[in-house]
Amino acid sequence: MKRTALLLAAMAAAAGAPACELPPGGQQIANRDGTLALSYRPDPAPLAIDRPFSLLVHVCSRAPVESLTVDAHMPEHRHGMNYKPGIAPVGVGAWRASGLLLHMPGKWEFLFGVRVNGKTERLAHAVLVR
Amino acid sequence: MNATRARRLAPLLASLAALAVAVSCAAAPAVGDAGRLLDFSDAERQAILAHGPWPPPLVPDPSNRVSGNPEAAALGQRLFFDGRLSANGRVACVSCHAPPALFADRRKVSIGLSAVDRNAPSLVNVRFARWFGWDGGSDSLWAHSIRPLTDPREHGIALEQVATLLATDPDLSCRYQKVFGRDAAGVSTETASADAGKALAAFQETLVSIPTRFDAFRAALERGDGAAAARYPENAQRGLRMFVGKGNCSTCHVGPLFSNREFADTGIPFFLAPGIVDPGRYGGIVRVRQDAFNQLGRHNDDPVRAPGTATRHVDLQQKNFGEWKVPGLRNVALTAPYMHNGSLATLREVLGHYSELDEDRLHADGEKILRPLRLGEAEIGDLLAFLDTLTSPPPGLMMDLLPTARAREPCR
Repeated sequence: MKRTALLLAAMAAAAGAPACELPPGGQQIANRDGTLALSYRPDPAPLAIDRPFSLLVHVCSRAPVESLTVDAHMPEHRHGMNYKPGIAPVGVGAWRASGLLLHMPGKWEFLFGVRVNGKTERLAHAVLVR
Repeated sequence: MNATRARRLAPLLASLAALAVAVSCAAAPAVGDAGRLLDFSDAERQAILAHGPWPPPLVPDPSNRVSGNPEAAALGQRLFFDGRLSANGRVACVSCHAPPALFADRRKVSIGLSAVDRNAPSLVNVRFARWFGWDGGSDSLWAHSIRPLTDPREHGIALEQVATLLATDPDLSCRYQKVFGRDAAGVSTETASADAGKALAAFQETLVSIPTRFDAFRAALERGDGAAAARYPENAQRGLRMFVGKGNCSTCHVGPLFSNREFADTGIPFFLAPGIVDPGRYGGIVRVRQDAFNQLGRHNDDPVRAPGTATRHVDLQQKNFGEWKVPGLRNVALTAPYMHNGSLATLREVLGHYSELDEDRLHADGEKILRPLRLGEAEIGDLLAFLDTLTSPPPGLMMDLLPTARAREPCR
């Protein structure tokens, strides 16, 4: 079943991002002051409903990243996924979030929590999955 | 064929013949005014195309090493119809999953050794599920096939009885040896039970429905054949438009199976008696995590446990109380009564439920887009016409997948 993921939102792309380079090919988002940026890409791609997938997440930050959380929800439906992703580091500044599943067509929002210097920075990115 | 074997097979063969007759009778075409193709928007077309093609690829279950093995399916068929897998010798899988009823039983709730709390779903197309049972209490078809055997209200036996039957019945032990390459008398009760479940699953995987009038319409739409698409009844087209549009039905009933294979609270009461609830999906998650036969256990035949991803990550949440599996809608016109407790007798009652939905019954943490549809009589008629086109024409099943002839031959 083929699905098209249409990028809707959210925050500015990685222009002015911090002291490292994000790998090409992923969706890039950054915080407001440009001190932190991340990219993510689904595996397998493209995003499709009713199919388990992972997100490969790369984070660039001026300070070391202490931890990362990944989740997804449907703002209009006011519910999240039925699954809790597992997060594992896969290299310097890189993580794999596994076990995600989007169980309905519609607008979803990926939620990233990046902990740096004891504070969690939250970034969100919306996608439309049909 | 000896007399005993012939006696055992007679109901099996009669049941399969009855299925063909039942589907033939029930699949009369809906009254429709074919001839015009509605002006479906691009978004509507995209939503419609998401419900196919049918059937999906018949991929073997990697957690079941005999999935797709015809000899295993034949053994599974024998076990499916065998009443000796019950405490009174008379309850078999087929007792609640009968071929003339599309492998369901047409009862509100099923009766094994005694009455249970839930409606028996059709087993046709069950191979395409992710979770099994109304509460998703099993994560594979083979594990789900073991569960009813020990339920005191269903088959009511200890698993030792499964192992003993496989080891001592000449035909079954011969088949077991052929399928699994070892003597049933030499394996543990747990392994024999897992193997019995895998053979039962191999049989149930052969129950695949054939394409419908909707599938022909969808295919015509996909290839841009307006003339062929226009042969789909116009009232069914209007119903389909409502299904993917105003009705929001395809939010959950999506994909080739017309199910997202997950769970939803749609306001169906789940009290069994005053103060006693059926916990639905909440109980299912608890159960699947405890199941010795789950996808994370040693009986999963996939060396990397890939099919265990969903079980590993499923999240137990308060909202799971009152959630039930979203059923597929293929052949839905033939599988009354409806809902997990069989509380709605007809499809018209189901549409009435969604039309007048009681929002107070929905879980506070649940789906927020469910609203009463306030359907008019014409809209209900159109939706019924559409749902009727999800009925497979005779003989209903892909008969060439069934292992019946192989199950009929004695094992040597």
